[in-house]
Amino acid sequence: MDNDKDIFLVGLNHKTAGVDIRERFALTTLCNKEQWAIPCSPNIHENIILSTCNRVEIVACGNQNSKTELLESWASARGSSVDELKPYIYTYTHEEAVRHLFTVASSLDSMVVGEPQILGQIKKAYKMAAAAKKTGPTLNRLLHKAFSVAKRVRTETSVASSAVSISYAAVELAKRIFGDMNAYKAMLIGAGEMAELAAKHLIHAGIQKLYLANRTYAKAESLAHEFNGEAVNFERIPEYLPKSDIVITSTGSTEPIIRAKNLSGVLKARKNKPMFFIDIAVPRDIDPDVNAIDNIYLYDIDDLKEIVEENISNRQDEAQKAKKIIDEEVDVYFNWFQALELQPTIVDLIERNEKLAAAELEYTCKHLNLDDSTKKSLEVMLHSLLNKINHDPLMYLKGENNHISAIERINTIQQVFGLNK
Amino acid sequence: MLSHQASTIITIIFYAGSTLLGLWGMLNRKTSWQSAGCWLALAGFIFQTLTLALGFHKSFPSGLSAGAYLQMLAWFLGLSGLIIWLKLKQRTALTFATPFCLTLFAMSIPYMEQVIIIPQSVQSSFYFLHIGALFVSLALLAISFIASAIFLILEHRIKTKRGVKGFLQDLPALAILDKLNGFGIIISFPLYTIGLIVGFLRAAPVYGSTFSGDPKEIVTIIIWLLLAVIFHNRLARSWTGKKPALMMIGIFLLSIFSLLVVNTIMPSHHAFIRP
Repeated sequence: MDNDKDIFLVGLNHKTAGVDIRERFALTTLCNKEQWAIPCSPNIHENIILSTCNRVEIVACGNQNSKTELLESWASARGSSVDELKPYIYTYTHEEAVRHLFTVASSLDSMVVGEPQILGQIKKAYKMAAAAKKTGPTLNRLLHKAFSVAKRVRTETSVASSAVSISYAAVELAKRIFGDMNAYKAMLIGAGEMAELAAKHLIHAGIQKLYLANRTYAKAESLAHEFNGEAVNFERIPEYLPKSDIVITSTGSTEPIIRAKNLSGVLKARKNKPMFFIDIAVPRDIDPDVNAIDNIYLYDIDDLKEIVEENISNRQDEAQKAKKIIDEEVDVYFNWFQALELQPTIVDLIERNEKLAAAELEYTCKHLNLDDSTKKSLEVMLHSLLNKINHDPLMYLKGENNHISAIERINTIQQVFGLNK
Repeated sequence: MLSHQASTIITIIFYAGSTLLGLWGMLNRKTSWQSAGCWLALAGFIFQTLTLALGFHKSFPSGLSAGAYLQMLAWFLGLSGLIIWLKLKQRTALTFATPFCLTLFAMSIPYMEQVIIIPQSVQSSFYFLHIGALFVSLALLAISFIASAIFLILEHRIKTKRGVKGFLQDLPALAILDKLNGFGIIISFPLYTIGLIVGFLRAAPVYGSTFSGDPKEIVTIIIWLLLAVIFHNRLARSWTGKKPALMMIGIFLLSIFSLLVVNTIMPSHHAFIRP
């Protein structure tokens, strides 16, 4: 029996280790063709290293008792010891390892559930492992399955469909109003992390032009340089408002800088084309009455927070649906994996019985001096008998209707039929 | 050879399939199902064209059945939805248009034999220009109506910060819906005007005067005036958004009233059902 061909996973992530520990044991630079942290050995046949800012995980195929060997390689690659690494480590074997990998690939184990980067990172990790020749049939199949599970989760649930950051929620809303962003212009008034992030998302969405206004013109110029936009003098904002379809404000002003009464002229100049105001500032930069004007939409930080909170809660609900999909797919993978494990024993058993039957047939024919047609009849009878003899052990081996593990079943059959002699 | 009856049944099957797949796909956010619904709508439209070709001319040119009028309306509506789907890559209009096509087409069947005799004096190319222009215009108004209704629902949710959830997330953006509304008005108004002028011009020699106070004429003029207001304001005063959407809904409902009530119940020389 190929007793040492199991799947296991060891790792640490944002839930078990702080950023300093994750940095200390990161294998980002040690999982490429030239340098690979975990060498393959008689106990570790295949392995893949996934090292991102939120997790370091090693998926391996081999003897599950070789986990210590794997941890030693990992710790020594980072100039540390297993004792230092161990407190932060989780280990999954067999079905649980596969389930965990599928959960990670589907972004259900991410810090922000449903974030899209993790799948790309796993694909990259797999590519690197394949290039370094660290993967074989088991992990190749496992990783391809993980990609298809992640795709299924994305298409069959809404786990990744709604924005879970304020800046992204703002851009998603802009898309609901304007559709394709290529024909639209935006203005960023003030600065601040969230506003700048929103501007980045807008650029990524394909916004045609970005104006950047700031009380300090030098800051506006620096942002304009960063975002490839146009710096605008703070006093000239009214002049640029009619040109802007989306306005993001994030100034430190204690009084609103945009009031409803100023906007009727702006709308007229824009020929009534809709405008979307995103007010991220506290205290607010835009008079709330602005939202009452036709063709103008105003969202402040609280409105956006509410959307994000609702989206996060929706994602959690969707994650439950996704877990069911993962359970189904783990079963599918294990059917294949077990068939792979069982195959050599099945072949050995059939060959053993066929050999015995052939020897007995030859012996009988030699002593009885049988003619060809009788020989043929005996052969048919033996073949049919063999099928019947093999049926029960094969059924037992395939594990239909029993709860004994594949390894135990293989051991039993090998011992009963003397297959490992 | 495909019979008129077989073609009618196939059209209904395709339109019904398209309606089910399209709406189910849209509500469950399965774009592939919704796309399949659009392709079925195209198949239904092809068979409807065949059905029209096979049965339309039976009583022609001396008369047209009431069913043929309804079928023509369904045909133009289907055509408009298909153009928007194929040209503007917007499935939603066709998804919403198909159930109307199915309803109009199914409603037409019992009336296919009910032929309305067209007076000899009206049987001319003017008559077909009158009917054709008005029906294309009405089909475009239907598309505008659908776009406007979706616009108002989405706009309300965005304005009142209720969130765009479920299948609403897959509907086109407000700007696209507004564009569809504008597209419908800008093309349908000139066509409606042509249909109207031709009708009045032909009315003089047939009925004795250009305007005879017929209920259909009165309602049609009201619709034309409302369309003129929206057409002018869209082009000259840049009306966009909620106002034209609300007006378009009113205009379309009035057009449906005109078609389903005035043409059937009121005494009119446009009546589908004659004593």
